[in-house]
Amino acid sequence: MPADEGLLDRIVNWLPTTLGFKRVASWILVPYWAHKTPVKPLPGGPHASFQHGDNVQCMMNLIMPLKVKSPIGRAEAALAIAQNKDAIYAGLNNVGTVHFARFVIVGDNICMFSVYDGDFTNYIRDFIATIGQVFNAVVSLVEGGDDVIPCEENVEAFIQWVHERDLYQVPDTPTDFLRDQEALNGDRAVSPVNDDLTLLPRKLVLQLRANPNVSLGSGYRAYPGYSAAQVRERLGLGW
Amino acid sequence: MVDTSVAKQLVQAIIDNLPAPVGPRRPVHTIGIGVKGEFVASNVARNYCIAEQFQGQPVPASVRFSNGLGGPDQHDGWSDVRGMATRFHISDGKGSDLIATTLGEFFVRNVDDFFKFTEIAKLAPYSRLSWWQKLCDLVKLKVPDRDPYLNETENVNAGALRYANQHRFAQLGVFQAAVIGAPVSYARASYHAVHTFWVTAPNGVRRPVRFSWQPVAGVCNTDPMAVPQDKYLFKELDERLKKWPARFMLMMTIGEAGDAIDDCTKPWPGTRLRISMGTLTLLKVSEDQEADGERISFNPNRLAPGIEPSADPILEARLGAYEASREIRGGCPFKWSKVDAG
Ligand code: HEM
Repeated sequence: MPADEGLLDRIVNWLPTTLGFKRVASWILVPYWAHKTPVKPLPGGPHASFQHGDNVQCMMNLIMPLKVKSPIGRAEAALAIAQNKDAIYAGLNNVGTVHFARFVIVGDNICMFSVYDGDFTNYIRDFIATIGQVFNAVVSLVEGGDDVIPCEENVEAFIQWVHERDLYQVPDTPTDFLRDQEALNGDRAVSPVNDDLTLLPRKLVLQLRANPNVSLGSGYRAYPGYSAAQVRERLGLGW
Repeated sequence: MVDTSVAKQLVQAIIDNLPAPVGPRRPVHTIGIGVKGEFVASNVARNYCIAEQFQGQPVPASVRFSNGLGGPDQHDGWSDVRGMATRFHISDGKGSDLIATTLGEFFVRNVDDFFKFTEIAKLAPYSRLSWWQKLCDLVKLKVPDRDPYLNETENVNAGALRYANQHRFAQLGVFQAAVIGAPVSYARASYHAVHTFWVTAPNGVRRPVRFSWQPVAGVCNTDPMAVPQDKYLFKELDERLKKWPARFMLMMTIGEAGDAIDDCTKPWPGTRLRISMGTLTLLKVSEDQEADGERISFNPNRLAPGIEPSADPILEARLGAYEASREIRGGCPFKWSKVDAG
């Protein structure tokens, strides 16, 4: 501790680590800055990509709030998945572009997390074709779901609905996060610019206010660059 | 062609920004330690690169770990970029170098940027913010600048930030450097060679790649809230290696069409194909630190046949700058293909 450090210095250094300060900041400072410097929620799903490596092992992180927020609602969701086990496996095997897919209940949300190859729109379209009735069963339990089922008859609206519930994927680097915000605001300036990098913490806080659920980073991949089809082919799995 | 006048200017720009003269030592990464080890390529490395060190036989290696800051004083515990320069001792007394740091991306794209950066990011007085200024930052939901370390009276932070605010390409490197911290051990950090290189496979296919060392012991930094220690990294490494060798995995990421080949400020996505090229085993701290910690001289363009530099202008500039710096400090000349050919 530097010798010239006074009591107030020490208090201010300690302040941000305290729960009290974090509460006050959340109640007062965050809403204040959200009002002064509004932030739009960044859209979900994978970033636009053109390269092979970015088009395989894409992530979908769907969070869908249940209509019935109780153990009954959660049990209904669990049942909808369990009853459709065969349909899910048959659909996944037929579509062939999915590395894994899981359903998870978190709080009063039914979540679907998956890793798939190729374009998001095609991915959902393929699933509507093969396991549309599973989607209908799940989505009927979810807030706002009634508008888009049966999904076979509302293909475009259903795809859009899913996209809106797919989490924003915070990029791996802090600067790509800034670039995402700038792109959303139509700012594509290159050097020279007049940024203020020290505002990064506030920008992150405000984005997480606008977008409370996000996926962090592009995800760790044990065998990046390979599609499910390539992995199966190399392992000799027969399809 | 190496432009020796630019090379000398680059080194001079670094020397001009030193906190104190370093004598016949490196003007950056001044404080370092030489280590002896051995590299063994993985069983797939040879499918991707014909360079001798990737054929599978054990290759002796010399490694110099360093603190990035230039200057005669050792401040291991300060937040700073760390270096890991490796020489693979291939046959006929030749070498192939791989110079890496804990920074994932660099902060300038070319020599012009570098000179502008050094003009703006000059050493400037650094003092503690008043409690009042810190409180203002907190109210603005900003993170206040850290307090100066003991004996830290100046640094380049303010200038580097100013440069980054004006140049988006510099932001990632500057941001990473600002939050990089201090490793608990040189053997517990990941090091990235930053530039793209081209490697040639036995079938003649050339691929753009980037190399990183990953510590088998895992990555671990010191507690940023604790008072930093000035000298612990050399002793820690010595004691560690006396007990057990330390290992690093060499990871090689393969770029795809559209990835930045000639720009070391741009990261590649984590979705790229990643090949494990082999394991470096560090065996002991060298007994002759004058030879292996000081006089040894690396150059990122000293490459075994089978690995070529990309046209990254920074990589190209380092060819001459490291030679110029070596000459100034009387570093050990070393036979290597480019010079031999010339
Ligand atoms: C224009 C850009 C750069 C310039 C002018 C420059 C300059 C220098 C100089 C003059 C030295 C001392 C060389 C010697 O006396 O042997 C040095 C050392 C070093 N540089 Fe750079 N450098 C640049 C970019 C980089 C980059 C992009 C990296 C990242 C990999 C890097 C990593 C290192 C390391 C690790 C050392 C210490 C090597 C050792 O232990 O011998 N430098 N640099």
